[in-house]
Amino acid sequence: MAHAVISCLHANLAAFQAVLDDIDQQGIKTITCLGDLVGYGPQPNEVVELVRQRAIPTCQGCWDEDIIDGLNACECSYPSQLAERRGHHAHHWTADRLTDDNKAFLAQLPTTLCRDKLLFVHGSPNSQHEYLLPDMNAFAALERVETAGAETLFCGHTHQPYVRELSGGSIRVSVQQSDSEEAREQEMILPMRRIVNAGSVGEPRHGNTKATYVVHDDTTGEVSIREVDYDVAKTCQAIVKAGLPDVFAWRLSHGFEYAERAEDASHVCER
Amino acid sequence: MQQIWLITGPPGCGKTNWIRETLLNHGGTCAYLRLDGSTKVGLELGHNAGIDQSWLRDQIPQLQDLFDPAPSSQLSSDDHLVLIEAQQFSAPTPSAEGLDPQITQQLQQFNLTPDRTLHFGVDPELPKQDTLDFTKLEAWHLDLQGCVWDPNSLSSFWFELVNGAYGDVYRAKALMNMPDGRSFFCNWMVSQSGSQFLPLQSVVPPTGRPSRPSHLVIQGKGLIPAGIRSTINDCLLSDDVLELQQAPLREQQPNLQPTLPTPA
Repeated sequence: MAHAVISCLHANLAAFQAVLDDIDQQGIKTITCLGDLVGYGPQPNEVVELVRQRAIPTCQGCWDEDIIDGLNACECSYPSQLAERRGHHAHHWTADRLTDDNKAFLAQLPTTLCRDKLLFVHGSPNSQHEYLLPDMNAFAALERVETAGAETLFCGHTHQPYVRELSGGSIRVSVQQSDSEEAREQEMILPMRRIVNAGSVGEPRHGNTKATYVVHDDTTGEVSIREVDYDVAKTCQAIVKAGLPDVFAWRLSHGFEYAERAEDASHVCER
Repeated sequence: MQQIWLITGPPGCGKTNWIRETLLNHGGTCAYLRLDGSTKVGLELGHNAGIDQSWLRDQIPQLQDLFDPAPSSQLSSDDHLVLIEAQQFSAPTPSAEGLDPQITQQLQQFNLTPDRTLHFGVDPELPKQDTLDFTKLEAWHLDLQGCVWDPNSLSSFWFELVNGAYGDVYRAKALMNMPDGRSFFCNWMVSQSGSQFLPLQSVVPPTGRPSRPSHLVIQGKGLIPAGIRSTINDCLLSDDVLELQQAPLREQQPNLQPTLPTPA
């Protein structure tokens, strides 16, 4: 049965509605959301309320967490002072406008969702803040999936959709139990695992302005990355009208993320 | 024998780069003068703010700046070359007819009579740059002396600036200070691919805010100065952050002392 996985809505209502329309037109009934409902975009309450209205099972994203817990990540989250200032501006703007009811909804979101051998997280099984980039070391990537006990790991956070198959992995160890025995070679063949990144509905970072999400068929295993046109100008107007920095609208309308990724994307802030 | 050449052309055609190359390749003594042309209706000249002079002086320390009232210690050689740079949108004739009257007047004040006049986009001796025929041009500039940039923020700001986040920018150039004491000549023109980020040869010690010239000059259409200012404010380092970044650099050079004001 086909199911849709969406991520990183970032308070972009027009993009979210367009993606829901696309999912509905395919007759897909099951949707899972990987978090970051809010942050940078102009309609945090509207997006959270639509998720609640559609009763979409949702993981907590890093932005959802920060809005509840406050800004306590270190500056390592941002690649520059400019990105940090903009991120903090967007954080305070969002925190000021999000209703208590919607904050309570974000606060109770789980960090992972599991369905059979499918695991759904925002960043990685380790943290909402960790990026699983498509070119991440294969052994480290496999470790993230395997230790979580999943066959397919669905994640977001990078805003770049991809499907990565981790196959042909093996671990070879040499075991010597005592000085009198010779070492024995052991090889463990690791099963094929997959990481599926759902991209971003509200803040694409894949080279154009289209919203992205994925459709997975849990019977055939087939994954398709969907790109959906939406009314970018409408969201840009809402950004300006909301009093967020005009440059956010410019960046969104050109397919650039609001703030670039940190230089060391694998770094996980532990503060 | 002294030669005096007048180099004219529209903004961003490569006058300063060509002058730099010519002076570096010249065997004798050399001098430089930059003249302001006239702003025409709808065509504003960029406020140069000494960026070109500072850049050329850094690259050619022995260069005599004819605008500098201090007498040069350099004796003119027999092979003395004076290059005069002037921004002018339309081309004068080789005999300097059609030269901007303000430029002519300034030349008279300096008692200079060019032996040659070369205009970008016209004279084949100059590189064939994709010079633009401007019909409308606004100009905006900002004095940044004493300001120090967060390097990654400067990269983001420059990307946004030259890609149209703050209006249609045709031309941007600047001298920008880094916390480690370096300064960069940043240069971009709409007709060129990519920006130049060229480090100045002179590096000041990381002991606070440098006093050397730092300026941003922009020409284009529909410029948004408030947006530019706002982003720049988010890119510049405060005293505390600057000190935080410079202190480890000074530890590597223990003879350096900070010059930042002590906190109250």
